[in-house]
Amino acid sequence: MKETIANAPLIQIQRNFGASSCTTPPKQANFHLFDTESGKHILLANGSRIFTISDEITQALEGNADDAEKLFEKFGLSAPAYITDEPLADVSVRSLSLAIAQKCNLGCTYCYAQEGNFGSKNKDMSAEAAMASVNLLFSEVSKGETVNLAFLGGEPLTNRKLLCECTAQAVALSKAKSVAVNFSITTNGTLVTPEDGEFFERHKFAVTVSLDGIGDVHNRLRAFKSGNESYNRILKNIRPLLKMQRDMQVSARVTVTPDNLFLRETLDEFISLGFHSVGFSPMLSSPTGKSEMGQKELDVMLEQMISCGEEFERRVAAGERFPFLNMTNALRELHKGTHRPYPCGAGAGYLGVSADGGLYACHRFVEDEDGAMGKVWDGIDRAKQNLWLSKRHVHFQEPCRSCWARYMCGGGCHHEVIKRGRAACNYIRGWLHYCLQAYIRLLEKRPDYFGV
Amino acid sequence: MSKSIEAKNLSAQLQYQAAGNPPSTLPQTAISNAFPGLEMDFRNIWKRILVGIELHESSNFVVAVDDDAPPAAGQLDNDYRLMSIEGIEFMVAVTGPLYPGGDNVSLPDTTFGDPQMSLEWSNALASIIQNYSGKSVHCVFESLENPKKTVKVKLKVRKFFDEADVNGEKVKLAVIAKDIAPPGQLTQSLCSPWQNDYRECACFYWAATRPDYVNVEARPDGTSTGNNWMQKNRTPDTPNVYIVDDWMDINLVNYTDLFRHWEESLRFIIGGKDEQPPQKVE
Ligand code: SF4
Ligand code: SF4
Repeated sequence: MKETIANAPLIQIQRNFGASSCTTPPKQANFHLFDTESGKHILLANGSRIFTISDEITQALEGNADDAEKLFEKFGLSAPAYITDEPLADVSVRSLSLAIAQKCNLGCTYCYAQEGNFGSKNKDMSAEAAMASVNLLFSEVSKGETVNLAFLGGEPLTNRKLLCECTAQAVALSKAKSVAVNFSITTNGTLVTPEDGEFFERHKFAVTVSLDGIGDVHNRLRAFKSGNESYNRILKNIRPLLKMQRDMQVSARVTVTPDNLFLRETLDEFISLGFHSVGFSPMLSSPTGKSEMGQKELDVMLEQMISCGEEFERRVAAGERFPFLNMTNALRELHKGTHRPYPCGAGAGYLGVSADGGLYACHRFVEDEDGAMGKVWDGIDRAKQNLWLSKRHVHFQEPCRSCWARYMCGGGCHHEVIKRGRAACNYIRGWLHYCLQAYIRLLEKRPDYFGV
Repeated sequence: MSKSIEAKNLSAQLQYQAAGNPPSTLPQTAISNAFPGLEMDFRNIWKRILVGIELHESSNFVVAVDDDAPPAAGQLDNDYRLMSIEGIEFMVAVTGPLYPGGDNVSLPDTTFGDPQMSLEWSNALASIIQNYSGKSVHCVFESLENPKKTVKVKLKVRKFFDEADVNGEKVKLAVIAKDIAPPGQLTQSLCSPWQNDYRECACFYWAATRPDYVNVEARPDGTSTGNNWMQKNRTPDTPNVYIVDDWMDINLVNYTDLFRHWEESLRFIIGGKDEQPPQKVE
């Protein structure tokens, strides 16, 4: 057995980060109490509102959770429901991801696209399907709005020609309709050339490179189909882009499996390489079940995430930029008080397109009936979309309905939940709990980080 | 002593009703709509958005030019209006029905008969504030007398939020900058609901809180008759006919009546009917 943090006896979880409130099932549906050095605080699920409260109020709520609504009323904390049972409907598309190549040169152990082709034959998207997709993206917006066009696969750079054609078409439509367009690409980095870099720079792409660790850790998870190592090749390809980035942003995305739980050193290394940001997400459902994270591994991941977060807090407190993406995103959303009934835009303003021009809830549902929503030529199948939106609303998910994190989490990635279930709730709540504490600390130390 | 409740994030700050504050301090209940409110007139925030000139709060007229304005702006003192900033236009053709259920027609500006209308500032200026705060922008003005005469001037957009020096660093505060709204400016042009706006309000916004249709009686055909509460000289014998609001109609209470003697002009309504004059006590 390979040694990973999860099974290495010496590296055990030592720290207690308030385990009572984040490693057990949710205590309260409507609020979450948490501490920091500066006192007691509360997150109210309704409206994702965060308050510092006195010990007396904390005690009153702890001792009387069933009467929470009455107590909220008394303390001026009550509010009309921000989110009702009403689902979104007939949402027009603002973001599309195109699987321009359903094929890949790597053979990653856990790939949701089953080594790139989503379990069917290798294929490229046709020019007709691609143009119809771009036209669809611009068909429902008015002057002054913004749309997002993402290239995914498989490995999108195996179909570079189409990528360039789609971009040109989108730029032309953007000018003609006075609609701004943002481009992004998720690539394995093995085929990127300096010319690609110039192209991405010119069109201000957000480039996400999948990298699962440093050197061999990455190689074990993301080797070429032939079995050859990919890490050095990717770094050689990406370095010129990292230097070149002005208008484009080159970020690293790490899929966390039981075999690459060394998050902290991965984060430090990738930030020092010059990535614009570095983000982690756990592998929760793979088509073969391989490399999925279990409870034990998720506990380790949470430890590691918190360690990365603490470094983030130190750096930001010192006035430095430290682009740990999970943290920057969480703090931004906590500060605003983002509350939503869905985890993401999938099946709403965001759809994925398969090589054959099929529309799906997102890039992961490509070729999957569970998320099918029509064809690019005929537009979105509204009946299917509306059914999806009403079924996926967090108020109709269990156990989300009674989880304090529901309006921030939104019920978890639809794909993972549909394919595997809700395996990561303790991890999600534990991470949120830590982020809430970090938010209060940074708000005190660096109010300017939040623009206040 | 530590405060017992402190709203931390933005959604909490927006919704929090501090102890002792009335419900009208919450955004969804405050009477500060796009038209002048009771607490402040938010439209005034836009008047001094461009350094050197003052705009009208609800239209695109230049109403004053500062003494120290850039020289090119001097001529704007002469009846000009702001047409665009950085290519973003503030006058647009507006279409819609003239009456409920009517056809969509081009809606002219009633004051000037202009086929275009100036946009409301809060929305029209949003992207300018977002992208150009503290920077100089290309502005195009047009003469009211001669629309062919335009003036192009570069003016600076004021910073919307105040800044403070914290440990030698400039830090943006969540406070509206002083030079965008000098003391007193935000409370200019408030509604005067108990005087002028009591009858002025064309959308019956204020009228919603006062009587309007009184002494109502049902008629056999299912319709009704009654009086306008602003109708003068109502006695039990006055014909029960509703006079449609018109400030020039001498049968209705006018502005001067309200300013001078609203106590005598307006009457209490009890149970939907005029209060009877008090009985003489022997
Ligand atoms: S998926 Fe999210 S909202 Fe649902 S129970 Fe888990 S943590 Fe809570
Ligand atoms: S369903 Fe999951 S994979 Fe798809 S967009 Fe949402 S979070 Fe991402």
